[in-house]
Amino acid sequence: MDKIIEIKNFSAYYGEKKVVNNITVDIYKNKITAIIGPSGCGKSTLLRSINRINDEVLGFRTEGNIYFEGKDIYRDIDDLTLYRKKVGMVFQKPTPFPMSIYNNVAFGPRIHGIKSKRKLDEIVEKSLKQAFLWDEVKDELSKSGTALSGGQQQRLCIARTLAVEPEILLLDEPTSALDPIATQKLEILLEKLSENYTILLVTHNIGQAIRISDYIMFMYRGDLIEFGETSEIVKKPKDPLTEQYLTGKIG
Amino acid sequence: MKKDRSISILLRILSYSISSLIFVFLVIVIFDGAKYFSTEFFTSYPTDGMKSGGIFPAILGSFYMILLSLIFSVPLGIITGVFLAEFSENKLSKIIDMSITSLSGIPSIVFGLFGLSLFSITFGFGTSLIAGALTLSLMTLPVISSATAEAIRALPIELKESAYALGLKRNEVIFKVILPAARKRIITASLIGFGRSIGETAPILLTGAVFYSTSLPKNIFSPVMTLPTHIYYLVAAYGESAKWMAKGTASFLMIFVLAIYLITFLVGGRRNG
Repeated sequence: MDKIIEIKNFSAYYGEKKVVNNITVDIYKNKITAIIGPSGCGKSTLLRSINRINDEVLGFRTEGNIYFEGKDIYRDIDDLTLYRKKVGMVFQKPTPFPMSIYNNVAFGPRIHGIKSKRKLDEIVEKSLKQAFLWDEVKDELSKSGTALSGGQQQRLCIARTLAVEPEILLLDEPTSALDPIATQKLEILLEKLSENYTILLVTHNIGQAIRISDYIMFMYRGDLIEFGETSEIVKKPKDPLTEQYLTGKIG
Repeated sequence: MKKDRSISILLRILSYSISSLIFVFLVIVIFDGAKYFSTEFFTSYPTDGMKSGGIFPAILGSFYMILLSLIFSVPLGIITGVFLAEFSENKLSKIIDMSITSLSGIPSIVFGLFGLSLFSITFGFGTSLIAGALTLSLMTLPVISSATAEAIRALPIELKESAYALGLKRNEVIFKVILPAARKRIITASLIGFGRSIGETAPILLTGAVFYSTSLPKNIFSPVMTLPTHIYYLVAAYGESAKWMAKGTASFLMIFVLAIYLITFLVGGRRNG
């Protein structure tokens, strides 16, 4: 199995506070890996370190290495914007830009230099189809992205991310603001997307992790407690902490 | 419980009396002057020692003055606001923030004197449209820049991060995502600045306005008549015979300002984009 990301002895700090503690783990290509754990366990920070979005946070620093396709992303990356393009990210809160649905999706490709209207039309249609949103919005592409429902907005954000053709999708609790039906739609979508993309998903929802992920990382207070295939971990967790978390004794 | 009730009644009485006071004030000012409105009042020059004629040059002068001042204050205010919100870790930004805050506490006559010494005398603009407009824009600058900074800070952090995650550079994030997302509140702030500066008297009294001009301003270095200074001169220098014109002008100015605030309210009312 191909590794797309290798994390080696990686630690992260906000100022003096260490939030991710010496983690070593591999992320496999075209699989869904779920990062689970109680609030404040560092799971979001780890996710946000992977596309270096935390660089924008004051006082953030890292130790150790994260390799993407063999390159150390904190040391060997010259063009951060180009790297971020390859590692798409979707947030907890849907964040459509204040513009039309079409322009939301065409936004990234335009920034990265695609000008041809025909090409943009193609990308928009393809991305919206991939995000299972095309049928719902194809007749109103000029409508504002902020006017959609929460679930549609989140799928729009996924389409917007897919439009720049990333290789990895990072999702930070993408369904926590959605109702159960929208959540289910999104879960089906993620499973479908994992055929072509590597997905890394932070979630509070243990059920969701079990339903859709291939691998689970369980983090607790900055440490990686356990990593393995989802079916294995659910059946027979090796660490008592994992078992306690999965059965709801801690959380 | 009983205490809660009496406090709520007290607050209600207070707020009702304050709003009725404002209402009565507006009605008196507007209706007392509106009876002098006529086509001639809006389209002709004052004549006969302000006993007859109209306020056309003052309307036009005020309009030019505000427009010119907004040309300076809006872009500068927006840029300053972006700087304050986006580069807040910067030391310079903290100094600017402090200056902006104190700028908004300075009495308007001090702005007038400052404008007089800097723009009219040092720069040699004399009593002119440009000197008045620059002085006015100094006053509107804090309004626009702090509102812009507030608007940007109020945006969800994820919006910015989504833009970075798509591979945007910092300037692209600011100009293509943040400013468009905050544009409604920035427009509102600019309109409030507009509404506030049209009624300002002291800053332009010394720098841009004359009490009477026989011709319309030819260029930005011409002096102009404006609505608020017109009222001031009429009341201060002419007395009883020109009182009607002062009332009419005040009424028109009031209606104009109210209209601006109404537009501001309508624009700002739908606030999610």
